[in-house]
Amino acid sequence: MATLTRRDLLAAIGAAWLVDAELPGRRPIDGVLVGASHRVGHLLRDGLPRANDAPSERADVVIIGSGISGASAAWRLAAAGVEVRMLELEPFAGGTSAWGEDGAVAHPWGAHYLPAPNPAARASLRLLEEMGEVTGWDALGNPQFKEESLCHAPDERLFYRDEWHPSLVPKAALDAAERRDLEHFRQRRNHYRTLVGRDGRPAFTIPLSLSSRDPELLALDRLTMSEWLDREGLHTRFMRWYVEYATLDDFGAELTDVSAWAGLHYFCARKLETAQLHGSHYLVWPEGNGRLVKHLLGRLHGVREHGQLVTGIESVPGGVRVHALDIGHGTPLGRTIDARAAILAVPGFIGRRLLQPAPAARLTARAASPWVVANLHVKRTFDPNHAWDSVLYESASLGYIDAGHQRTRPDERTVLTHFRAYGGADVARTRTELLGRGWASLASDVLLDLAPAHPNLAESTSRIDLMVWAHAMPRPRPGFLTASGRGPFETVTLLDERIAWAHVDQSGYALFEEANAHGVRAAEAICEVLGVNPGASWL
Amino acid sequence: MSKRRYLSPALLGSVVVIATSGLVYELIAGTMASYVLGDSVAQFSFVIGLYLFAMGIGSYASKHIERDLLRRFVEIELAIALVGGFSAPLLFLVYTSFGAFRAALYSMVLLIGVLVGLEVPLLIRLLEFQLSLKDLVARVLSLDYVGALFASLLFPLVLLPKLGIHKTSMLVGLLNALVAFAATFLLPLEHGRSWRLRAECAIVSLGLVIGIVAFDRYALKHEATFFGAPIIYSSQSPYQRIVMTQSRQTTRLFLNGQLQFSSDDEHRYHETLVHPAVATLGHCPKQVLVLGGGDGLAVRELLRYPAVESITLVDLDPAVTEVFRNVPVGRKLNHDAFLDPRVTVRNEDAFAFLDETKENYDLVVVDFPDPGNYAVGKLYTLSFYQRLRQRIPPRGIAVIQTTSPYFARRSFWMAAETIAAADFEVLPMHVHVPSFGEWGFVVAGGPGITVPRSLQLPEGQLRFLGADELPELFRFPKDMSRVQVGINRLNDQPLVSIYTEEWDQWQR
Repeated sequence: MATLTRRDLLAAIGAAWLVDAELPGRRPIDGVLVGASHRVGHLLRDGLPRANDAPSERADVVIIGSGISGASAAWRLAAAGVEVRMLELEPFAGGTSAWGEDGAVAHPWGAHYLPAPNPAARASLRLLEEMGEVTGWDALGNPQFKEESLCHAPDERLFYRDEWHPSLVPKAALDAAERRDLEHFRQRRNHYRTLVGRDGRPAFTIPLSLSSRDPELLALDRLTMSEWLDREGLHTRFMRWYVEYATLDDFGAELTDVSAWAGLHYFCARKLETAQLHGSHYLVWPEGNGRLVKHLLGRLHGVREHGQLVTGIESVPGGVRVHALDIGHGTPLGRTIDARAAILAVPGFIGRRLLQPAPAARLTARAASPWVVANLHVKRTFDPNHAWDSVLYESASLGYIDAGHQRTRPDERTVLTHFRAYGGADVARTRTELLGRGWASLASDVLLDLAPAHPNLAESTSRIDLMVWAHAMPRPRPGFLTASGRGPFETVTLLDERIAWAHVDQSGYALFEEANAHGVRAAEAICEVLGVNPGASWL
Repeated sequence: MSKRRYLSPALLGSVVVIATSGLVYELIAGTMASYVLGDSVAQFSFVIGLYLFAMGIGSYASKHIERDLLRRFVEIELAIALVGGFSAPLLFLVYTSFGAFRAALYSMVLLIGVLVGLEVPLLIRLLEFQLSLKDLVARVLSLDYVGALFASLLFPLVLLPKLGIHKTSMLVGLLNALVAFAATFLLPLEHGRSWRLRAECAIVSLGLVIGIVAFDRYALKHEATFFGAPIIYSSQSPYQRIVMTQSRQTTRLFLNGQLQFSSDDEHRYHETLVHPAVATLGHCPKQVLVLGGGDGLAVRELLRYPAVESITLVDLDPAVTEVFRNVPVGRKLNHDAFLDPRVTVRNEDAFAFLDETKENYDLVVVDFPDPGNYAVGKLYTLSFYQRLRQRIPPRGIAVIQTTSPYFARRSFWMAAETIAAADFEVLPMHVHVPSFGEWGFVVAGGPGITVPRSLQLPEGQLRFLGADELPELFRFPKDMSRVQVGINRLNDQPLVSIYTEEWDQWQR
């Protein structure tokens, strides 16, 4: 294999001037850095005068944020006939479930699959049924999914010691100790998957709040995942990598910074077993969970406005007053919206800057990891056996998915979505460092990361678009359940009389079903506040 | 100047080489013509006649060359080396890319013939001062005929089978270039032009060597020997490598190296694919859909039914359907099926087509390549068959190619079980196709379909099937009878690994 240097890569991606050299004959790679608008967002952090002088507008319910929680709240309110005004800072919708439509195939900018939800995740299954993704129910009450939305085989592969293996566990290539560890882990996993706590609840399940309160199980929240593995005597290198890949993938954090309860929940909370799900149980669409957002927002009753930086929410008699800056049209323009109620669908740390001290104190703020997501537009010989998810063993990244995987038509052109979560203890510093880096440097990182498996990727890549997610997803650190100042699984929905909160920070764990349920819960709570009958709860 | 009695062995050798190469070009042209245009007696006849005639023109024209004989001789040799050497690849290129094959073939034969016709007269004149006329004519002409014998044995027995037509052509061209080079040393020089001539020789030789190496490296070398027969068509589409070979009477089509049919026995395959399904339907179909089957051979069988109103053929790869619409060998095999006004060809993904179409079809013929990879495997999943089900009215019929129930027994029955799971009743069947072995299909339809007793065609139209054979097709002996394997779904596709495993056992 030719040695690949950063210099080659920079040259390949057209940033030759950076390294004072030019490799002739290489087609430069295009691309942009599309960012969650942290610079604007930081105006908030750094203190911003409120524009109180603007003429006041009126609205029924204001929803702040168009991520899964906000979109779910809008979806629920639409069914109750309540009109909303949704304010979103970014030019795009969906929060970390955003997506892109340009290029050969739609592609995710963040969350890119939904494991088949448990029957108890009722709102999420209702959504999937509305979308036609759930096609029916079997005699046991288990959902049947649209087969072509389940991840087509082959679903995953691992690049391990210079070759691809058709699964994340390259059994034949592992040594006896590693296989023993994996077997032990498999047994523990099966044990916890079916375990019922002393309170009669399943040890781990989704919705999170239906999990057991058995103190013995909750005690796992005081351990790190790393300590749990130690306790089980699981030390081999592959074993540790395998579990850490999962914690980075789902929580953006290493074994040493994740609660063992959360780590085990990841492996043991999926309960659905049907004949159809012998294969992959991941629902996958080209645009990832953007497909879900599209449907949720498609039902929105009212208006959605982008480029809106909300700067404050205050309770006023009989309603709420929302202050915002319209930054979508050149000079920022102050606005004030008087509404009957508001749903705050933003992370806790942002909410704290928007609310008055008393409601702000009821928010839970979580540490969140930064992520960099890259979409590589490629054209290469069609491989009929290409997997959806390609993972490189012990690489810095989480690998990439092929956004075109669910197409039935063979196509040379596709978009590869590459993910990298930045763990490490000093989240703030990593974040600052990432936000300071330019496109060329981040893009060459992506190519370098994939180079062991794809040394010539640059030649088949026409563009690399990048997104830096400064605060991508909450990290369930040890104590996230039991040391949050409230009882475990206790959800605060109403922050004030007419302000509800909907965000995965309430769970401390970024799961679609949780975000969706928080949105629905907030909407139903607001219906009650407004005296609107929303019908039976969707939860 | 005194005349010697002997010519140097090198010169004699050159004469043999010239004669051999001259005949080899003729044989190459004849072979290409019979591959591509068929009717080998006529093609060889035309090529030989034209070639000899062109040689006559060359011989006559030689009298107009009066000065610089050696230089002319060397230049003619180099021209032969180039035109003759690249004749096979050029004709092949014209055939696959431009289509005006006949014009190119006959012009090429004419050109090479004229050049070769010039050779011997010039050589005789070059040597006329070295030997008496009677000796000279006797030596040169006898060696010429020896060379011809040599060529006519060497070409079919060694060159064509070992090197293939393209490399033979370029190698012989290289020999001509070497003769030209040798001539600059062996024959009296005029005007001291030797260096320039030798440089020209070197350039031409280098071109041919590059051609041979490039061919070895990039082109069809593997296939030419691997498939055991000369390749008459090959192209690489975005989806697959398409190769057609022809040996004597047999035409074969390979997609990605996998045999799709052999003209010797494809009638067994296609008659069994189409006619029992129509028989199960119980009447001539009106609206027919063919998925896959871009060779048009199933369409050929369907067109035997006069009541057919329309046939829509959906095949992903335009490169395949174009071959069978335009290339003579293909058209001959499918009886110009794609030119029938009732036939519409759509180059689309079958999955997407079934999603989008609103049409219903009384008969659907599904003839995809075997599920040897996950992309093709998608066309053997429950999801695919459910879509298929929706396009067939309750009394309609589908027939599906489902690999060999003998070599890949579990694969065959998994496909059958998957089809049944899509709310079809199934009638599995099998037939012996010598070039494939035992092969299987599934006839699928609504509730209550039964094994047909008679064909919907008058007896005697078909080469293989008759009413008597029908029940036999549906009986499965013990060693390929039904096994329980499960269902092939998009999110799992166990069929691909089972299929690969089963066929690997036989190929080991």
